[in-house]
Amino acid sequence: MNIFLYSDGETLIHRLDPRTKLASLMFLFTLALLFNHPLYSAGVGLLVGLGFSVAKAWIRWWRFRWLLGLLFIFSGIIWPLTLKGFPVWWSAGPFQISREALGYGLAMGIRLVTFVSTGILFLSVTRNEEITQGLIRIKVPYPVAFALSTALRLVPTFVGAGATIIQAQRSRGLDLEKGNIFRRVGQFIPQAVPLLIYALRYTNFLAMALECRGFDPGFPRTWYRELKLGPKDYGVLAGGLFLIGLAVFVRLGLSLGAVIPQRL
Amino acid sequence: MSPAITIEDLSFTYPKQNHPALRNLSGSMDQGQWIVLMGREGAGKSTLCFALNGLIPHFFRGRYQGRVRIGGRDPARTKVSEMARRVGLVFQDFEAQLFSTSVELEMVFGLENIGLPRGEMEARIQNYLKWVGLEKMRQREPAGLSGGEKQRLAIGAVLAMEPDFLVMDEPTTDLDPAGRQAVYEIINHWRNLGKTLILVEQDPDVVLEADRLWVLHEGELKAGGIPETLLREGSFSEQGLQRPALMQLFHLLGRPERPLTVDEAQVLLGRESPLSAEKNNQTLEGQINTGKVLVLADRVEYRYPQGGTKALNQVNLEIREGEFIALLGPNGSGKSTLARLINGLLKPTAGRVLVKGRSTTTFSPPEMAKEVGYVFQNPDHQLFARTVEEEVGFGPRVLGLEAKTIQQRVKESLEAVDLDGFEKREPFALTKGERQRLAVASMLAVRPWLLILDEPTTGLDYGHQRGLLEMLNRLNQQGHTILIVTHHLWVAAEYCRRCVVLKEGRVWLEGATRTVFQQEPLLKEASLVLPPIVQLSNRLDFQGLTATALAREIRS
Repeated sequence: MNIFLYSDGETLIHRLDPRTKLASLMFLFTLALLFNHPLYSAGVGLLVGLGFSVAKAWIRWWRFRWLLGLLFIFSGIIWPLTLKGFPVWWSAGPFQISREALGYGLAMGIRLVTFVSTGILFLSVTRNEEITQGLIRIKVPYPVAFALSTALRLVPTFVGAGATIIQAQRSRGLDLEKGNIFRRVGQFIPQAVPLLIYALRYTNFLAMALECRGFDPGFPRTWYRELKLGPKDYGVLAGGLFLIGLAVFVRLGLSLGAVIPQRL
Repeated sequence: MSPAITIEDLSFTYPKQNHPALRNLSGSMDQGQWIVLMGREGAGKSTLCFALNGLIPHFFRGRYQGRVRIGGRDPARTKVSEMARRVGLVFQDFEAQLFSTSVELEMVFGLENIGLPRGEMEARIQNYLKWVGLEKMRQREPAGLSGGEKQRLAIGAVLAMEPDFLVMDEPTTDLDPAGRQAVYEIINHWRNLGKTLILVEQDPDVVLEADRLWVLHEGELKAGGIPETLLREGSFSEQGLQRPALMQLFHLLGRPERPLTVDEAQVLLGRESPLSAEKNNQTLEGQINTGKVLVLADRVEYRYPQGGTKALNQVNLEIREGEFIALLGPNGSGKSTLARLINGLLKPTAGRVLVKGRSTTTFSPPEMAKEVGYVFQNPDHQLFARTVEEEVGFGPRVLGLEAKTIQQRVKESLEAVDLDGFEKREPFALTKGERQRLAVASMLAVRPWLLILDEPTTGLDYGHQRGLLEMLNRLNQQGHTILIVTHHLWVAAEYCRRCVVLKEGRVWLEGATRTVFQQEPLLKEASLVLPPIVQLSNRLDFQGLTATALAREIRS
């Protein structure tokens, strides 16, 4: 089983320059932040969905369905109960549910799912090495860019190690699915110790392995794959900028796309 | 000609350690030589490797004395990244040294670091991928390669930097015999270029090919010279090292010759009279256990989630009470998957696995732990407590046993693995061999009737491997059923009465160890190579699978 998100492909999105992908990531985040009306937020979400279709990456998204579902449900419950709005449909003590708050909660749920999905899409179509190179080309210092992309790379490695450790503990009789939520959380503590030790050993070893292959952030290096912005990149960048301009106009000029305009 | 590597009075002590890892070590190596380093755990082999490329003292800081010169450079005064251009280092752990997203990018990482132009990089990728036999896998993701392919890629990535010196720290211990063979072929190819190679190796049969052998013991160079001469001398086993089995056989026979190859041994022994065919069959049948069936795998299939490959296909298996079974097969043949299906960690995607007649899918973890204990390949995944005592007591505590019973079980389990007296020690401060035994003890305390061990000898030196296997033998004699997952055939030959060989997710061969080991061509197809003693026994038509058993037969 492949525990990493990236999957090689020849789609239009895969072939974009990493700088274009990084900029598109920022465009989509900005678009998601501009609106707090569920219909407009859903529009941004659909745009990300279109990206998944073009990149043929829905299978990657599907892995996170439970996490995304939880994010959506919690946001949909917590916001309507805690936010004051009009008209009030129901109230009990400090809690009330209003049309505005319900709409805002839905929009926030969609926004969270859109944020995470955009990240999944980016990591599904961008190699770790491209992230490093793209960041360097937009003037992020090499050690910072390398550390950032390596950290992203390590997440699935540690998730894989965590899964092995859970299996090892289960085979000693630890039942993680027994008891109430507090007991279950408590039962996860035995996993934390070996995982932490694994993480420390692994990162230490990785640092050693990198140096043994001549890694030196202070030494000028060359790149095997050269980055070059092509017509498709310029097209995507122009389209992204146009969409941002249009969204700002709709939100600020036409005062549309917000259930509660004074909130982000 | 001056030596390519000189080591003068080198001593090194790791931080917070009282005993030096290297002690006044001196020696030299010539350009183009192949030197093998051997020694027990803690002998200083890895420390010496790290001192050659500068990881010591730059990465591992400690007390460093003496001097090393390698290719005219002093690693203690040169940055590791700079030394990497001259001294390539390959580690034992092939998983951890790969970090790129494709084979091609893994190969170029080092080349980019040393600032090679693109054209030169392309030429080197093409050349060295061919060397390591991965030219057709250029765009593949390293995580999806087999163990042998991963290690070859790690070696290729280092070779592409064209260092003058190649240092390999036990590069084959995690590999199946075919994977090891491929690595040795690369080594021979490298050697023909006239470059220097330093290899840490446990297998005495490999050493014979080398120009020089250095035997280290507790940080000191105990012996150094031509491998054949050193191996023929008796002092080898005094250092706790594995003596070539054929030499051991001749020693037991009281003969003065010390053969190094199966051919040589066969010629020396001539035509000894074999057992009659009738007696042969009796011996083979007599080894099969007829106890109660405890585990039954019935047409089991397993496919990894999210479109993964089919790891097991129509597997049938029975495990009977009191057996000591070896589950053999090349890397990626489905051994660990089958073992995890037996203790319910994985659920079959087709077919069924029954433990004492009950489907594994119906067991809760505590129920399963009482029936089947599973010791993972890496003991560090299983350990988490602050003390050894707490670690071993964890399983019985989870089962809700009384304090007195827990205490009793901890005591008995630690005694079984020779760790009594270690109760208050910290698990992660123990040596690898001790941690492995502690992982076994933590399983024993739950008292499972079947104990499964996944590659338990990996990363242990010969002395510790023997200690662990002898302990398992004792447990088996006390009534535990044992299943050991391994690709070391000598382990199966010496300890297991029955073998199951998997190949590409299917049962390839199965039966009494002797019967299975007679199928040499079929084993070879499964990338398994028989130990020299078994090869000799087969050629002479004898039954013995160990030097002792074969010597007894020959004498009788």
